[in-house]
Amino acid sequence: MTFLETSEAPSGFLDSPQARALLVRVIRVAFPHAQLPDTAYEKTADALIALAEKTPRHFLALSSGLASLDTLPAGAFLDLNAMDATARLRAIEQTEFFGFVRANTVLTLYNLPEVWQALGYEGASFDKGGYLHRGFNDLDWLPEPRIEEYTGELRYVEIGPLTRQVGAATPATPAAASAAPESASGRDEVTK
Amino acid sequence: MSAIDHDEEAVVIIGSGAGGGTLAYELTARGIPVVVLEAGPHITNAEYVNDEWAAFSQMAWLDPRTTSGSWRIARDFPNLPAWIVKAVGGSTTHWSGATPRFLAHEFQARSTYGGIDGANLLDWPITLAELAPYYDRAEIAMGSTHRHGRAALPANNNYKVFANGAARVGYNFYATGPYATNAEPYDGRPASVQDGFNFQGDKSGAKWSTLVREIPRAEATGHLDLRPLSQAVQITHDRTGRADAVLYLDAAGGMHRQRARIVCVAGNSIETPRLLLLSASSLFPDGLANSSGQVGRNYMRHTTGSVYAQFPDPVHSYRGETMAGIIADEARHDERRGFAGGYYLETLSLGPAFLAAFADPGSWGRDFTSILDGYAHTAGLWIVGEDMPQETNRITLNGSVTDAAGLPVANVNFDDHPNDVAMRDHGYRQAELLYDAVGSISAHRTPPYPSTHNLGTSRMSARPEDGVVNKFGRAHDVPNLFVSDGSVFTTGAAANPTLTIVALAIRQADHIAEQLANRSL
Ligand SMILES: Cc1cc2nc3c(=O)[nH]c(=O)nc-3n(C[C@H](O)[C@H](O)[C@H](O)COP(=O)(O)OP(=O)(O)OC[C@H]3O[C@@H](n4cnc5c(N)ncnc54)[C@H](O)[C@@H]3O)c2cc1C
Repeated sequence: MTFLETSEAPSGFLDSPQARALLVRVIRVAFPHAQLPDTAYEKTADALIALAEKTPRHFLALSSGLASLDTLPAGAFLDLNAMDATARLRAIEQTEFFGFVRANTVLTLYNLPEVWQALGYEGASFDKGGYLHRGFNDLDWLPEPRIEEYTGELRYVEIGPLTRQVGAATPATPAAASAAPESASGRDEVTK
Repeated sequence: MSAIDHDEEAVVIIGSGAGGGTLAYELTARGIPVVVLEAGPHITNAEYVNDEWAAFSQMAWLDPRTTSGSWRIARDFPNLPAWIVKAVGGSTTHWSGATPRFLAHEFQARSTYGGIDGANLLDWPITLAELAPYYDRAEIAMGSTHRHGRAALPANNNYKVFANGAARVGYNFYATGPYATNAEPYDGRPASVQDGFNFQGDKSGAKWSTLVREIPRAEATGHLDLRPLSQAVQITHDRTGRADAVLYLDAAGGMHRQRARIVCVAGNSIETPRLLLLSASSLFPDGLANSSGQVGRNYMRHTTGSVYAQFPDPVHSYRGETMAGIIADEARHDERRGFAGGYYLETLSLGPAFLAAFADPGSWGRDFTSILDGYAHTAGLWIVGEDMPQETNRITLNGSVTDAAGLPVANVNFDDHPNDVAMRDHGYRQAELLYDAVGSISAHRTPPYPSTHNLGTSRMSARPEDGVVNKFGRAHDVPNLFVSDGSVFTTGAAANPTLTIVALAIRQADHIAEQLANRSL
């Protein structure tokens, strides 16, 4: 976008350190992660500013959204604690401004390799030979399960209830509630 | 590779995915010349990327589509109703590989479930017994594990949690397959290296797709003319109502005409009805093959949902084959659960980028970030079950939104049927019990993703007034027009659809070859 040269041209604000600081804070309050480095939030803010500068619609939403954060009665946004800042954002979550920030943070922040690392995700693996020798089956807090299909004495039930009791989920409807799983007649499942 | 003249009356197949790619191979292997028109580019395994968004942008169908109806997708992803690939190989390049068969009664849904309000149920015109030999051929072609001597895949971390939970809640019918990825080298392709990237296209070639198997084999016969970046926009017909040519656009927008003896449409269940509707003419004013009014209707997407549970100890569920874990105990039809039909539970794992985008679209704050904070300690699964065909769940042409060529895009209208909702809720609860049984500390219910299983919009029926095609996929109204993809599903069944799409395509190829041989086509 290009702006006409007037002393009040809005182009400066979004590039100002103040706008960036506000945006970094908004993103951190909306997407709080103790383990993420500051750089992850800063990179996301920079990406969102660059994106907004491409279209007047997003530019207007982001600049006016950030500039007006401090006009709310609770005072300067940067001075609010996390709880109050979250409440402030809840109040404006339906705005174009917040919708832009939320949607694009989700697409940007969680696509940063440093965020993957902090969350414990290892990213691309084919070039390293996959996970075949790098822990695809290293979970050791449960016993090794069967991998073959069932060959025991129960017959597979295609129609009707199971004779055994399974995990006892609450029935899905009142109608089904009258037929408790344990009262199943087992017309299809027999032992060989 | 053979170049077929545009004026030669060829067998023209539209789409090179599970249905189209299979049909192309089966016909060319019998010496029948085939032109395949594929809207997307020819991207090969070496070009795939181990990165969720990059891979999605590289291959997904991103041309505009619109949505309507009460499904949550219309709010969260209004222009992305479905995840379908636009490239040679179609969605088999991004699929994961689960290959259960239909159960016998699932071909007789109307007779088995009875009349259900609002559901347009119908029995298939074929039975499991008729399809069984083709299921065998499909499993052998795709290399399904646990079948025909193919070894089972080993247990990965996500499966260990899943299978132990299954056993503890009393399920028995669980295994790491059937799954169409090699556990051992097979059919000229290597064994899985458990790289964890299935939905992004498998770089190693261990996973079956028509890109790695059927397309190159069809090319090797010398009878295939594969035209990538060629999007069919209309099927034309002669004065007797027989299809006679396909009009298509190349990448530069140039219009071509390929004469056709037989036309087979396999563009997946959104583009297939769109093309039939775009082919309306004075003889077929409601769209080609649409005298029943069923083209585009009965759109099904399976009843789905995911549960992601967190544990005190690490899981690292993203390592290894994404969906190599299937529980079949709930696939039965058992009205005591409060719904008709059944569902499978299957392992599933997304990277942080996709988990953030799809776990709970629109949400933010601590509830949201806690889902990601526990990423390395998370196990996940997917519910996939039969949804009810409804006449109003429907693909139509959107008169006000157009694609790059100025053609109306597909609108996808969808409402959940109460049966779908009851089934999904049951699945959520069972999944939570399963994870609870192995010590989960939290569980998050994720709503359905953009549809990966798209079915039913040109359904098979015994009677012409009930559907679009007959039991071989041939249009009731147009004798040399076939539908060769999941659009022909009369009902959806609980099983992931691709094995059945491939089995039906092999069967259709036998039928077409026979008809050509005795000159009845
Ligand atoms: C992430 C993901 C995971 C999946 N996992 C599983 C699984 O585990 N098990 C399972 O059974 N299924 C799975 N599926 C579904 C499976 O991919 C589809 O069921 C199957 O590929 C559908 O086959 P098809 O032939 O109908 O369409 P596709 O394979 O989608 O092929 C259609 C092709 O037609 C082309 N096309 C469309 N319109 C035109 C036109 N007008 N002109 C020219 N070409 C056109 C498209 O570009 C595309 O290449 C998954 C899908 C996804 C996306």
